[in-house]
Amino acid sequence: MSPHAKGRANNRSLMTAPASLLATVGVAKSYGPVIALSSVDMSVRRGEIHALLGANGAGKSTLVKILAGVQTADAGTVYVDGHPVQFRAPADAITEGIATVFQDPALIPDLTIAQNLRLSRIDMSKLRQWLAWFDLDRLDLNTLVRELPLETLRLVDLARAAARDPHVLLLDEMTAALTADQSERVFDLLRRWKAEGRSAVLITHRLAEIMRICDQATILRDGRNVERPPKGTIAFGMGELPIASVDEHQLVEAMLGAAPQPVTRSRRTSAGGNGLGDAAGAAALEVRKVTSRSILQQVSFTVRAGEILGLVALEGQGQDRLFDLLSGKRKPTDGAIFVDGRPVRFDSPYDAVRRGVVLVPGDRLLALLPNQSVHHNLALPLFGRLRRWARIPMAERPRVNEAIDQLAIDIRAASQVHRLSGGNQQKVVMGRWLVGGFRTLLCFDPTRGIDIQTKRDIYALLRKLAAEGAAILLYTSELAEIPLVCDRVLVIHGGRIVDEQDAARATESSLLTAAHGLEMKAAA
Amino acid sequence: MTNAARMQPFRRRVRVRNGWTYGVWLLLGALLLWYSTLIPVFGPFQITSISKNSLPLVYLAVGQAIIVIAGGIDLSLGALLLLSNVIAAHFMQGQPVGIVAMIAVVLIAGLALLNALTGYVITRSGVPDIVVTLATSYIWSGLALWILPSPGGGTAPEMRWLFTGSISGISGSPWPPILMMLIPCAVVAIWARRARQGLTLYAIGSSKVAARLSGLDVRRARSVSYAIGGAMAALAGLATVAITGTGDPRFSVGSNATLNSVAAVVLGGIALTGGIGNLFGVVATAVILVILNPILIAMGVNSNNAQVIQGILIAGVMMVGGLVALLRERAS
Repeated sequence: MSPHAKGRANNRSLMTAPASLLATVGVAKSYGPVIALSSVDMSVRRGEIHALLGANGAGKSTLVKILAGVQTADAGTVYVDGHPVQFRAPADAITEGIATVFQDPALIPDLTIAQNLRLSRIDMSKLRQWLAWFDLDRLDLNTLVRELPLETLRLVDLARAAARDPHVLLLDEMTAALTADQSERVFDLLRRWKAEGRSAVLITHRLAEIMRICDQATILRDGRNVERPPKGTIAFGMGELPIASVDEHQLVEAMLGAAPQPVTRSRRTSAGGNGLGDAAGAAALEVRKVTSRSILQQVSFTVRAGEILGLVALEGQGQDRLFDLLSGKRKPTDGAIFVDGRPVRFDSPYDAVRRGVVLVPGDRLLALLPNQSVHHNLALPLFGRLRRWARIPMAERPRVNEAIDQLAIDIRAASQVHRLSGGNQQKVVMGRWLVGGFRTLLCFDPTRGIDIQTKRDIYALLRKLAAEGAAILLYTSELAEIPLVCDRVLVIHGGRIVDEQDAARATESSLLTAAHGLEMKAAA
Repeated sequence: MTNAARMQPFRRRVRVRNGWTYGVWLLLGALLLWYSTLIPVFGPFQITSISKNSLPLVYLAVGQAIIVIAGGIDLSLGALLLLSNVIAAHFMQGQPVGIVAMIAVVLIAGLALLNALTGYVITRSGVPDIVVTLATSYIWSGLALWILPSPGGGTAPEMRWLFTGSISGISGSPWPPILMMLIPCAVVAIWARRARQGLTLYAIGSSKVAARLSGLDVRRARSVSYAIGGAMAALAGLATVAITGTGDPRFSVGSNATLNSVAAVVLGGIALTGGIGNLFGVVATAVILVILNPILIAMGVNSNNAQVIQGILIAGVMMVGGLVALLRERAS
């Protein structure tokens, strides 16, 4: 393959093996101050099924977006078949022979399938062949996309990608919505793909699938390649891991990497010394066999006053829906929610707030009035009561100021909340409920994208609130937080609670193993 | 497989999907029938009058609908109508038919290009459509006043015949205006539903993200939608000069036309969020908005109250539509 030599001459020769069909060298991407990818090397050989692995926030989805042309990298180069390429739009990636199936099907909801395919200039005979492959040959192509169930859409999306005859198929969580036999057909396709000398990149949380189908893995952690091989494996090239040489637990270890930072360890002992055991408080929030369509199945748990209950899950396992149900945004299809021992039925978040159940949502901008002042944002819950309409009454000002002091909110840019740093914004969201009052606090990933000092402030605040008798449910994507702040931890996988651990003894490895739906190793 | 909707016969599904369009055409038919009983004589004269007077709004509404389907909205269409109207009246007066036809073609192409530029500015700058087109609406209106400071000008008799069915603009055959209404609208409507570029407009209005991920050029499609809007506004201006025989640069003519075009689009079943709707429905609702006035006058309603009734009708139709959609959703 002589034409490849030109593109590779000035690059790290280790990375781009002669048969490499798709490669990245030093790809980096930041979103404002947040570094999503700091430097990623990946090399997908001809005829290889390549796994792209990493914990939540490791940078997988950013890398996929760059490879698919949705976003452009800040630095580094993408090579296709040895030639450096620049994708300015998804259309460019498709032209270069990279077809991507995204987690959310990229089909136009208000058009029929046939119209969608026409827009993508798909060869219909090839498409029908792939639809037949997935037993969808009886599918009526004149159906509107939004009338079809998700799994059908994902298969149609995959069939469309395959009908483009790409060199590389990029599949982001392809099997997540599929049944077992549908997944099997996808793997059959991949095997055939491989036999034809083409390649695929697979992103999946299902490690068992990786063990079965993938040849190599690139593992990301904090936006970089995992550089050291996990203990007990044979040596391999940087950034690559031959799947045949490892088992699932070693993959988990590689994703996790080094032990959590010791700085935060000390906090746990001081914070944990509040003397509140599991039985200390009454049940503040109880969930009994709550089901929400197919997303949550029979979820039951109790959060007691004075307790911080941690929640761990991989992306898209139903945690979003659980918080929607608890905060009154949606109603469960089955099961019951009890607040302070009494059954409740929230018609809106307003009802939940009135019962003392308040939410710190994952997207803090969703909760804030970005153009209003810190004071106005903090006092917002007070406006709900009619007699205190429209402005912050003098009597409430001390409460607002007290919250600012307690949270150490930097109020230099207080006139408009959107000018605050992310950490300060998060403090305002939490401070609002200190002003408004609550009994149960639902926190959805409150420390995502926040600097370490603010994180510690937030941990300390949560422990203090619990010590004062609040019940707290904390979902976090940062597993290292669990032993620091929580008392107990639940693990959700596929919409079910699959594990409960004592937070003090939980490790990132034990949590991640459970979150992947794996049994614990006897040794661990 | 299990989904019952998939088993629905093709015909029934087409009927359900275009239900709104059928509904507004039925409403138009009913109104026409009612109107014919209200007045002593209903014949070719009335048909000519209704169809020619509907032309400007029908064109403008179809142009607006295309832009709304592609996810935008254009508040400058009325001003573009003014511009086209005064340019035509100013330059066509006393010219032979060849020159007049050339001016018409240049106007249509020119305003299409001009509005495509507006669309391009919107996609490039990220400033909302409503802001940019509000600004351009003032610019085009001002330009119109500059070209023709007071009502005046004129056009060739052939031009008047084309849009009104008579060279004097009075009475005449109903066929030219009816054909001039249906042919351009049908061309645009069928193009939008059948051509790849037309489907792209629906696609970007329905989901910009999915359209981009499917490899479509979102920006170009946006500009194309504005270009069609501009061309339709130019046609509307030509129709106006043909019907009235003069150019009228008053700002209120343009702004009323813009508002009516949005009303026709909404009534015609086009989702203001983009991606959904049938252009044929908009043709019907534009005519409905035009005939409402003579109907109310024939009923003896004070013309001051007519607007109130027009508003109530819009709200009422939209509520019925919302109710039907809700019931259908419940049933499925």
